[in-house]
Amino acid sequence: MDNLGELLHGFSIAVTVPHLVLMVVGVLLGILVGVLPGLGAPNGVSLLLPLTFGMQPVSAIILLSSMYWGALFGGSVTSILFNIPGEPSSVATTFDGYPMARDGRPTTALATAFGSAAFGALVGVILITFLASWVAQVALAFGPAEYFAVYFLAFASFVGMGGAAPIKTVVALAIGFSIAAIGIDTVSGSVRLTMGVDELVKGVSFVVAVMGLFGIGELLVAVEEEFHARAVSSKIDWREVFRAVGRLPRHSVALLRSAAIGCWMGITPGGPTAASFMSYGIARRFSRRGRHFGTGEVEGIISPETADHAAGTSALLPMLSLGIPGSATAAVMMGGLMIWGLNPGPMLFVDQKDFVWGLIASMYVGNIVAVALVLLTVPVFAALMRIPFVVIAPLIVIICVVGAYSVSNSYLDVVMMLGFGIVGYLFKKLFYPLAPLVLAIVIGDKAEDAFRQSMLMSKGSLGIFFANKLVTCLIVAGIALLLLPLVLQLARLWRKPAAPATAPTAQEKVII
Amino acid sequence: MISRRALELATAVLTGGFGVAVVVQSLDNGVGWSSAGVDAGTFPLLTGTIIVLGSLYNLVRGVLPVASLANVPVAITRIELSRLAGLFVPAAIFVAAIPLAGMYVASALYVFAVLAIPRHQSVPRALVMAAATALALYVVFERMFQVSLPHGALAAALGF
Repeated sequence: MDNLGELLHGFSIAVTVPHLVLMVVGVLLGILVGVLPGLGAPNGVSLLLPLTFGMQPVSAIILLSSMYWGALFGGSVTSILFNIPGEPSSVATTFDGYPMARDGRPTTALATAFGSAAFGALVGVILITFLASWVAQVALAFGPAEYFAVYFLAFASFVGMGGAAPIKTVVALAIGFSIAAIGIDTVSGSVRLTMGVDELVKGVSFVVAVMGLFGIGELLVAVEEEFHARAVSSKIDWREVFRAVGRLPRHSVALLRSAAIGCWMGITPGGPTAASFMSYGIARRFSRRGRHFGTGEVEGIISPETADHAAGTSALLPMLSLGIPGSATAAVMMGGLMIWGLNPGPMLFVDQKDFVWGLIASMYVGNIVAVALVLLTVPVFAALMRIPFVVIAPLIVIICVVGAYSVSNSYLDVVMMLGFGIVGYLFKKLFYPLAPLVLAIVIGDKAEDAFRQSMLMSKGSLGIFFANKLVTCLIVAGIALLLLPLVLQLARLWRKPAAPATAPTAQEKVII
Repeated sequence: MISRRALELATAVLTGGFGVAVVVQSLDNGVGWSSAGVDAGTFPLLTGTIIVLGSLYNLVRGVLPVASLANVPVAITRIELSRLAGLFVPAAIFVAAIPLAGMYVASALYVFAVLAIPRHQSVPRALVMAAATALALYVVFERMFQVSLPHGALAAALGF
């Protein structure tokens, strides 16, 4: 029951006037980036990051995480009303959400989506409340070898379960590692990989990379296609909101199943996008009304939304307790933690109790604030969709440029940011996953240090990774995940010797 | 028009080139095992090699006709390419102008140019938006967050 006491203490930190104001601001900004196509949670959080450098860490994380909740909700609004997913993770919501809204039930669709999203988020937060400190406690006993094994498992699960082409994931990961290695090596103190540019000694800040990859890159993808917002009515009928939410318990099986899928995919770095697709797919297979999916089924909205939010929330669990983010947005937030001078990982639960429990308590409050605000502001944000893209695009470019510059007052960073923009565009266009790239940039150094420290301990023998049960299990699981795509490929070949190459799935089109 | 194949090829060459650079540079830092443990160049050498090998694989996959994705004939159409250029070229000019004109002047000019020149907005409205952008930047960064943005060589010459 220790956790509950800590949680109550957390509430006393989170529920103060300045923090509630930050939550409202964060959620509104989040809904804004969620609604605007070409901007999503990772972009929004990274655009806001430079402004938090001067803040208290608790306030800063409350602002950023509230923005995350807002973006998750905002993405669903446009999916349902416009058939334009504002976020990759809400693509699956369009399948049934838009048909239902088009049939004249936009309120039902929105309320069902928000209700199940709130349920998913709640399950995620409860999981964090009870599991995070326990995981952190276990992790406190970790040595460098165990840490490296956990990092290895995280990277391997991107390859095995990420859904993108495995070799492309590997390349993205390795590029991230190399970028993380640029600058002064923390172990030996020597300067690495500066390519003859002296200014690179300070390394490449992940903020610069994220601004380019997500900000400019996404913008370039979005500008390619002209979209027309053909809205269905965005009027909210309040009685229908309560009726729709009241009907949710009838679908409790779908709710629980989707929440479980979401939590699993969030903790292992599958991410919200993969979670929502998987949940939708499973719901369509197991639902009695599976044949009607795609025509405005309630469960077709519940399943992706619950999983999306459960995954988005629980992605913060490994970030807090192990220092390994479960999604791209969590990776950006973790980079923020390091900039604010905190060390993500189990020690947070010992050294920074106020920060951790303030954040967890703020998740409960922040999600309530988000549901209320998103319902109240649906008409406003729906109107925002009519602002032409040509006006928004230059503003985003300026925010990225200023953001990249303000990290360390360096012009080179701005130029690099633009370069990362091109890379982000190419990667997005060719389905290279961006999340592992960002993850590797953020924690590449730590993974390398853990590896080198364990090598020092074992005097160069790889046997240290098989020295005890825990570390062996982690490493073996990691290797299994790495080999999973290969095994699946071989199995497919063995079953159908001349099978035609698989066509790109709907999911591949939206992988971050 | 740019085909999917050309795009895959270009990207694989790009990543592969980066990988080669990483490999070459890492050799300077020493590779292998020394009295101080694993040498600084070992890890980059490993990641660099993985990048090179992976890029080679992606290159072959992207070019071979059996790969389904290479059969998508057009990845970027001419119209899309012009839209891309319409966004990126002004942005690049904007970034290039910052050292000379400074952040405020450059961003105001940038907003004005992309809104007024293709006639998306009327000239007066574009002017207002440009001025508002520069002012907002000044208030938020210079005043509220005490971050000094570059004022540019031109402003320095004029004595600001």
